[in-house]
Amino acid sequence: MPTLLITPENQIQRLNLLMKKIDQLQQLETSRLTTLPKPKAWSILEIIEHMNIAYMFYVEKIDAALAKSTDHNSINEPFKVRAWQKIIIMGQRPKDCKRKWKMKTLRKFEPIFPNDLSQEQINEVFEKFNSLYGHLKQAMLSSRQKEVSKTKITSAIGPIVTFYLPECFEFLLSHAERHLVQIEETLDSLS
Amino acid sequence: MDDTTYQKLKHFFPQVHLGSESESKFRSLWVPKSFDRSELITEAGNTERYFYFVLEGVQALYILNEKGEKVVLGFSYSGSPSGVFDSFIYKTSSFTFLEALKPSKMLAINYENYQSLFELDPDFQTWGHHFFRDILMGRLYREAELLTLSAEERYIQFMQRCPKELQVIPQKYLASYLNMKPETFSRLRKSTRY
Repeated sequence: MPTLLITPENQIQRLNLLMKKIDQLQQLETSRLTTLPKPKAWSILEIIEHMNIAYMFYVEKIDAALAKSTDHNSINEPFKVRAWQKIIIMGQRPKDCKRKWKMKTLRKFEPIFPNDLSQEQINEVFEKFNSLYGHLKQAMLSSRQKEVSKTKITSAIGPIVTFYLPECFEFLLSHAERHLVQIEETLDSLS
Repeated sequence: MDDTTYQKLKHFFPQVHLGSESESKFRSLWVPKSFDRSELITEAGNTERYFYFVLEGVQALYILNEKGEKVVLGFSYSGSPSGVFDSFIYKTSSFTFLEALKPSKMLAINYENYQSLFELDPDFQTWGHHFFRDILMGRLYREAELLTLSAEERYIQFMQRCPKELQVIPQKYLASYLNMKPETFSRLRKSTRY
């Protein structure tokens, strides 16, 4: 199995582009943001809220791992992802702008909205996204000069998957990129 | 900005001769910025907000290749301009990173203020002509060097012309800029006189 090497710079570049694309969605009309492309599918806003919920499970864990990690004098070399973590990450990562396989979402990650959303509530979803993924960006920046292969993070699905910080960032970013593809699919089917 | 700093900035605009009113306006448009070693001044995926003039330190401009490795496109250093010009001018997402390789002090001017220079005094048009001409010639010269010179020749040419402060930055950045492996750069450093 080929090695998966990751660097914070690569992650930062991808995250910046992702955040820009989500920001542009704010210009869409409310109906485009809230319409389900088909029954049981999520609206664009629900997808973003799901990305928010997924990230919220990691905020404190990332902060704690960063606080525990000691400083380096130099920038880290590319990080080699472990085999099991690579399978988990690659399962999320879209390939050729397609989601590789679809999976059932655990209930705790499901977005729940009232039937009629106010503009304020819509804005809140975007603000939360910017705040949470801004946190991810700061964490990536901080990790550049930290010893990142000492502290492990337990994933949101439990100790069956643990991550070192770079693996955790890669998982969260790949998860978000996967849902960006879903958003683009939703936009296509609504047009 | 103190007078010594301002003299350094003025030196970067040799074609520009301003009256006292325009000079004080020009001086007011620049903001001092400081960056720690290894700090990302501009991130790929974001839009460059400033045109910089470097007071202290060395910065590397690099792009990431498919493997995520840094490919160094150029350096900036004391007395030189810095920033991601294409992103700054076209207001588009940058494809490149700008990183401080040494603690850096810079003067920054934002896009609106940069554009206002060309209305402040016609001398800035002349400066702009010279500045972009020199940038273009520099890039053409570098392209020719990369395509025609051997690794050893590229190393010698670079070491002969680069400022001293560039010679002490991490070797991997210099090696990448010269399109050679760090091991090759290290070998040339030990064995080649210039």
